Amino acid sequence: MISLLVISHGGLAEGLLDAMQMITGPQEKVLALGLQESEAPEDLIERIREAVETLDDGDGVLIMVDLYGATPFNSSSRLFLESQKKIEVITGVNLPMLVEIVISREGQTLPDLLEQAFQSGQTGIQKLPDALRKAKSI
Amino acid sequence: MTVAHVRMDNRLIHGQILVSWNSHLKIDHLIVTNDKVAQDPMQVTLLKAVTPIGAKVSVLPVADCVKYCQSPAAEKENIFIIAKFPEDGCELVERGLQIPVLNLGNQAFVRGSAKLSNTVFLTESGVKALKKIHEKGIKITCRMMPNESENEFWPTIEKTYPDWVK
Repeated sequence: MISLLVISHGGLAEGLLDAMQMITGPQEKVLALGLQESEAPEDLIERIREAVETLDDGDGVLIMVDLYGATPFNSSSRLFLESQKKIEVITGVNLPMLVEIVISREGQTLPDLLEQAFQSGQTGIQKLPDALRKAKSI
Repeated sequence: MTVAHVRMDNRLIHGQILVSWNSHLKIDHLIVTNDKVAQDPMQVTLLKAVTPIGAKVSVLPVADCVKYCQSPAAEKENIFIIAKFPEDGCELVERGLQIPVLNLGNQAFVRGSAKLSNTVFLTESGVKALKKIHEKGIKITCRMMPNESENEFWPTIEKTYPDWVK
């Protein structure tokens, strides 16, 4: 099964996994890492490398980071270039994305799961339905 | 030349710069400068490929960075320089980069470093580099974000590392 590694600034990743498991129940092969204020990018790369080693059963790891271009993303991208393992990286991790892929990852390939994360991350963002806005104004 | 800002930051290009500093300064050329980084092809590829701000990104050895900033090409640009370490900042100045202020950004903990703040840990060699910058009459600030104080930060460095500034 594909493993999920959520990496953020501070405690967001940990919080996302906590929130996700309120919805999906306890999950295996998921891990959170938070960049600390005093941490060097090189040290974060090593922590990501260790987490990937721990998680991966051969099906690959989808790394989900909070912000494109920021340190969790930069360090993950560096590992993507260096590592022989099956790794993909997606940015802008949110709860809809995480919940959807954690329950549908069984039997999926890494490229398919990446695409699904990319779609669900976007469709998970919705405005309040017009029907409600109308209902309020009546 | 129009070097708008020089920041010493071992994280190089990252979230604070892309989000906060870019909207504050409207950067159109981001130059990362450190001799070792400039010789690491993988890091150069990453820095150039993933930076999303629409600005030009260069990764240069310190000597080339100074040369570029003194060239006619630099005159029309709003340049933001990211030097990896205080030693790189000092070398920029010693090689003739004219700049009134150097800003100290993130400096992660490394072996032999001591804490200045939650985000800045300096080595003895780093403190000595900052001392040289200070002695050239250049103001040193310590701002992670644009909304932080622009006050002269050298007295705090001097007080924090009494043995290393001797």
